[in-house]
Amino acid sequence: MSLTTTTTESGTTPARAGRTGGEPPSTERAAPKPHASGRGRARPLADVALSAVGACALVGVAVTVWLGLWVTPPDRFMGNLVRLLYIHPSIAWVMYICYGVAFLSSLAFLWPRTRSLRFDKLAGASSEVGVVFTGLTLVTGSIWGRPTWGTWWTWDPLLTTTALLFVLYLGYLTVRRIPGEPEVCARRSAIAALVAFVDVPICYFSVLWWRSLHQAPSIADPVTGKTYIHGSMAWTLLLSFVSFTLVYVWLVARRYRLFVLAEREDDEGLAQALAERRAESSQVRA
Amino acid sequence: MNGYVEAGYVVGLGTLAAYAASLVVRERAARRRVGAGTPTVTRPRQVRAPGDAGSTDTRPLPGSGPALDPAPGDSR
Repeated sequence: MSLTTTTTESGTTPARAGRTGGEPPSTERAAPKPHASGRGRARPLADVALSAVGACALVGVAVTVWLGLWVTPPDRFMGNLVRLLYIHPSIAWVMYICYGVAFLSSLAFLWPRTRSLRFDKLAGASSEVGVVFTGLTLVTGSIWGRPTWGTWWTWDPLLTTTALLFVLYLGYLTVRRIPGEPEVCARRSAIAALVAFVDVPICYFSVLWWRSLHQAPSIADPVTGKTYIHGSMAWTLLLSFVSFTLVYVWLVARRYRLFVLAEREDDEGLAQALAERRAESSQVRA
Repeated sequence: MNGYVEAGYVVGLGTLAAYAASLVVRERAARRRVGAGTPTVTRPRQVRAPGDAGSTDTRPLPGSGPALDPAPGDSR
């Protein structure tokens, strides 16, 4: 649904349609029939869906914590420290999802046929959530590494490239805040997101490409598919992956809505300033 | 268990909870600023006069309330 409909309904928000090159101005669209567009129903449905995702994520994380801390047995080698691995790999997994979505959204924005500012917002939302998850990946990994490796930090390839990811996407978020025309800002940000994404495969494959202190992927053999963990440990880890993915969906949807609201706020401020300027000029003429 | 495990869970989940709460608070504040109200309220689009049943004018009447927000995924 476009802002055109919002303009029709509220009469206060200036039309942004056409800025992204794919939508006609509001005046060229047929007026929607009252109660026929489904808009009145779509909003509550979206909210209900988002609430359901949030509830599922909350329950999933709570069950993961319960299973991870109290139900699953200690590991033969790591002891109780294995319990940290019910959250650390899941958080890292979500980090990759975040940057993957940001990458695809940025590509979609730069692609002329799919160019839309909604992809820019999605990339921004996903990247911001990604920075949070990257920070958590580093911190939880560090907390696990101190008793396991004997150090909080080491310049291991995976750790270093993950820290680089954190800095790169912080830079991306900074680029997003540089003022300018929405389309120009979005294009600039999309290019920055593509550049930052170069580090993602390097980060993921670093444990295979270089001799690393960090273990290689050890949940399952990538070639044979044979799993190395079983029983309650495997189910807890699987639940953790699903739950944190749902957390990601909920956070990105919330952040996306914030972008939409901020944009509307800008539009309303612009409309108000224009109205005041018109009123001033009419007073001068009078 | 040792303190590292508890610290990892507290830091990880606490940070996520704080970030989620900040998003909710910021969204509510933004809604207040734009006067959008709660997103789940379905607002009647138009109040028609009895003799105006055939009209296709969908402009809202003055004071008919704020516009609904676009759903997540809406383009603007």
